[in-house]
Amino acid sequence: MDFIAKIAFKNLFRSKLRTLVSIAAIAFGVMIIVFARGIVLGMIETIYDDHIQFNSGHIKIVTEEYQKRERLLTLNYPVDGFTGEGVGGMMAELEKIEGVEMVIPRLKFGAMVSTEDELVALSGWGVNPGLELAFTDLENDLVEGRMVRPGEREVVMGTALLEKINRQVGDKVTIVYNTAFGSLKGSTFTIVGRIESTLKLLNETVVYLPLDQAQALLEMEEQATELLLVTTNLKTVPRVLPAVRGLLAKAGAGDRYLVLSYRETSDLIPLMDLSRIIFNYIYLLIVLLSCIVVFNTMVMIIRERTKEIGMMTALGMEGKDILQLFAIEGAFMGVAGSLAGAVLGHLVTAYLGKVGFDYGQALSSMDAEILFDTMIYPVASAGNTIFAFVFGVIVVTLACLIPARRAARLEPTMAMRE
Amino acid sequence: MALLELKGVKKIYDQGKIEVPALRGIDLRVGQGEFTTIFGPSGSGKTTLLNLVGCLDKPTAGTIIFDGRKLDDLDKKELAMIRRHSIGFIFQSYNLIPVLTAYENVEFALRLVNKYNPRETRDRVLDILSAVGLEGLAHRRPNELSGGQKQRVAIARALVKEPKLVLADEPSANLDSKTSEEVLAVMAKMNKELGTTFIFSTHDPLVMAYARRLIEIRDGLIAKDQRREQDAVLN
Ligand SMILES: Nc1ncnc2c1ncn2[C@@H]1O[C@H](COP(=O)(O)OP(=O)(O)O)[C@@H](O)[C@H]1O
Ligand SMILES: [Mg+2]
Repeated sequence: MDFIAKIAFKNLFRSKLRTLVSIAAIAFGVMIIVFARGIVLGMIETIYDDHIQFNSGHIKIVTEEYQKRERLLTLNYPVDGFTGEGVGGMMAELEKIEGVEMVIPRLKFGAMVSTEDELVALSGWGVNPGLELAFTDLENDLVEGRMVRPGEREVVMGTALLEKINRQVGDKVTIVYNTAFGSLKGSTFTIVGRIESTLKLLNETVVYLPLDQAQALLEMEEQATELLLVTTNLKTVPRVLPAVRGLLAKAGAGDRYLVLSYRETSDLIPLMDLSRIIFNYIYLLIVLLSCIVVFNTMVMIIRERTKEIGMMTALGMEGKDILQLFAIEGAFMGVAGSLAGAVLGHLVTAYLGKVGFDYGQALSSMDAEILFDTMIYPVASAGNTIFAFVFGVIVVTLACLIPARRAARLEPTMAMRE
Repeated sequence: MALLELKGVKKIYDQGKIEVPALRGIDLRVGQGEFTTIFGPSGSGKTTLLNLVGCLDKPTAGTIIFDGRKLDDLDKKELAMIRRHSIGFIFQSYNLIPVLTAYENVEFALRLVNKYNPRETRDRVLDILSAVGLEGLAHRRPNELSGGQKQRVAIARALVKEPKLVLADEPSANLDSKTSEEVLAVMAKMNKELGTTFIFSTHDPLVMAYARRLIEIRDGLIAKDQRREQDAVLN
C-alpha cells in the first residue's frame, strides 16, 4: 500500500504540465465554490440584517388591518395601546418581558416634496432617534450632520433624495402629507443630516423625523404604525413570541394585533433558503466541470501506460491494486488542487469581506421597498472553506475511479504487445 | 516430474468474423533448470505460447500443468498469485517504471511477494543487482541507463523473488548484437548459478546459440525440438 502510494506520488511528476493543469482546474473550481458560498453567506447575512433593522425588528407588532395594507402606509390602523389608551403604557409592559431588550416605535407615513418641476414621493419615518441609533447601523451611514433630536422640527434623509429635491444639509424643506383625518397639510423642517447608504430605501425614500413631531403633525398623539421588539438574539425569538402574545391576550388586545417573527415578514428570506439549495447544485456542477479536466488527464495517462499496467499485472499485481494506484494519483491531484483552491478562495473572500463590493449598477431598477442591499460583504468562514476542500477531494477522487477501473480491467497480455 | 507440461494446447484468437489459429496443438515438457529457446519467424506463435505458459492468458483447448498444478481450473486471482510468486518476466522493451530507480524497479517485484523484512529486501535487491553486473547503478533511473543495462535491471527484477520459471519474450530484439550477447550471457550465468528455468523466444541465431534446448515453432506447431549437452558459446 505504501509502495503503491509512493509510485502514485512519483507518477505525478511524469508529465508535470499535465498534472499542473489538472491541479489548476480543481483549484479553480474549489476557489469558485469558496468564493460563491462566501458571497451567498454575506448576502444572506446582509438581507437578514437589513430586514431586521429596517422592517421587522426581531418581532413586529402591528394591527391586522395595517399588515394587509402595509405598502399603502395607512394611518387608519395604528398601534395605540392595548385598548386605545396610548402606546406608551403598552411599550412599558412589553419591555418587562424577559428576553426583550428594546421596544422601538415607528410611525411611517407617505409624504411628498415639491420641486420646481415635479412632486417627489417619500416615506416619512417618525422615530425615537436614540433607539434607532442603538439598534440599526444608521450611525455609519450618517455621513454628514447629525441625527434628528426629539422636540425639534428636523429631518435626516438620503443623498439620492437630497439630490432629487435639490437640497443640502442646513437647508429647509417643506413636506406635504395627509393627517390621520385626511386633511392635506404642509410643514417646514430643517435638514440636519445626510445618509449615504447602499440600501436604496434609505438613500432615496426615507425621511427620518422625531416621533413626537410626526405624532403632532399627523394628529396621532401616543400612536405608532408599528412596534419592533429587539430580543437578546435571534435564538430567543421563538421563546419571546408566545410571551408577547400572552401579554396582549391578557390585556384584551389579542385580536387586534399581529405578533410576527422576522421570518414571517420577509419575502427574501425564504427565497434565500431556496437559493442556498440551488447553489449547492451549482457548486457540484462547477466541480464536475473541473473533474472533466482531471478525468481526461486520467484517460490519457492510462492510455499511455497501457504496457506498464500490463507489466504490473504480469508481475502479479491485482486489479484492485491497479485501481488503487490510479485512485491515489487522482486523490493527490484532488488534495493539491483543492488545498490551493480553498486557501486562495478563502483569502480572496476574506479580503472582499473587508472592503466589500458594490454591484449596485446591476440592480439599479429594483424597487426600493425591497430591502436588498447592493453592498455585499462576502463571509469567509472556516467551515465553508473546509467543506469546499473536502468536497473537492471527494469528487475528484470519485471521478478518477471511472478511468482507473478501466485500467484495472486491462489484460495482462498487454505487457507482451509490441 | 517436469516443471511444465503442455498437452494438446491450442489457441485461437477470435477476431470478430475471422478466427486466427495461433497455436494448433502443442505438446511439450520442460524440466527444472532447463535453458530453452523458442525460435521461429514472426507470427509463428512464440508470444502466444509464452503468454499461456506465463498464466497471462488461457488456451482455447488443451491442458497446461505448471509445478504440479493444472492451470485450466484456476481463476484470475489464483493465476495472478502464481505469476507473483513463481514466474519472472523479461520483456522485449524492458517495461521498467520510468519514475523508479533501478533499485526500486527490482524492489517492486519483491514488495508484491511481501514476505521479506526491509533488511532482507534490501540485501536481496542489492545482491541480485550486482549479480547481473549493475553494481553502483542502483540509484539510476531507466533513462540514465543504456539498453543493455535496462534489460539487466529487468533480469534482476525477474529473478529477485527466486521464481521457478523465467519467461523472456525476445529479450534482445531491441539491442545491438554485442549487447544482446552480454544480456544472454547474464541470463545463462543466472541459470547456472541459481538453477532457475529459463524459456526465451528469439529469431536471432546469435542468441539461440546460448540455449541448451532449441524448440522451433512454425505456424503454431512445434517443428523441431533439439537438445544439446553444451551450449554453443559458453559450453
Ligand atoms: N491478441 C491477438 N488477437 C488476434 N490475433 C493475434 C493476437 N495475438 C497474436 N495474434 C496472431 O497470432 C499469431 C501468432 O502471433 P504471436 O504469438 O505474436 O507470434 P510471434 O510472437 O511468434 O511473432 C499471429 O498470426 C498473430 O497475428
Ligand atoms: Mg512475438
